[in-house]
Amino acid sequence: MKPLQKKYEALKKILREAYFEKEHAEVSEQWQVNAMRRIRNLGPVQSGPSFFMLFEQFVWRLTPATCLLIIVGAIIFLKLGFFPDYDVLTLFINNAEELSLAQLF
Amino acid sequence: MQNHPSRPSDSEIIRRVIDGDVNSFEYLLKKYQDHVLRIVTKHIPYNEVEEMAQEVFVRAYQALPGFKGQGSFKQWLSAIAVRTCYDFWRKRYRSRELPMSDLSENHQGWLEKTLSSQSDKSFHEKGREKEAKEMLDWALSKLSARGRMVIELVYLEGLSVKEAAGLLGWSVSNVKVRSFRSRKKLKTLLTGVISA
Repeated sequence: MKPLQKKYEALKKILREAYFEKEHAEVSEQWQVNAMRRIRNLGPVQSGPSFFMLFEQFVWRLTPATCLLIIVGAIIFLKLGFFPDYDVLTLFINNAEELSLAQLF
Repeated sequence: MQNHPSRPSDSEIIRRVIDGDVNSFEYLLKKYQDHVLRIVTKHIPYNEVEEMAQEVFVRAYQALPGFKGQGSFKQWLSAIAVRTCYDFWRKRYRSRELPMSDLSENHQGWLEKTLSSQSDKSFHEKGREKEAKEMLDWALSKLSARGRMVIELVYLEGLSVKEAAGLLGWSVSNVKVRSFRSRKKLKTLLTGVISA
């Protein structure tokens, strides 16, 4: 096991050296011109915060209030005896009866 | 640290750019071009470096109003560069454009020769840097985009988990978990190659 570990450590060292060897890259002079052309084509930068930035900023702040609202709403509906599933099911059964009668006559 | 009187500060330039003077951005581009290239070159294949470095500056330009000046502009730009590189790999992995070539007999031969030599010479002195780089690319291509970035920053560059988290915009615990998993996978891969 030990020689394998030793070899592994040696390989790690070699790969790290190979990684740092990648650092030398040069760009052509045209690169700068092209980069600035791309940026100019974008036009002046938008200084005001965008809708999405504002949304991202405030959405988490509103989360506790939204959760509280949902809980309060659920309690109110339970107190009022509002069961949408039950109502929908009743409506469906009634309609099915009407539909069956209509088919008979 | 005082600025040179004839050279405007970064914050001054940023203010000008935000006020609508697009051409002022060229100053920042020239000043930080080498820094961005150094980062991008380490993470991206050589033939894509120019394009990705441009992309970094385009993103930086678009995000400039969001720069609050809490850290230095260089630090902020570094984070954009690293995240751009991560996005590059994410797209690559998603589109399955990643070369998944296996190691050739040449690589195996090189590895045996290099590891069996007891000398402490660096791989420059021994020559055959090409094989080392290809082996590194092969090992990294076996990792996920996230794993790849974490390994490059923490394991190869030697950044702290906190520094890597700051650059990638991830939580420290996320980087820790990714680092642990990727290192484990890398070790399995490399020991597999060694013992083959």
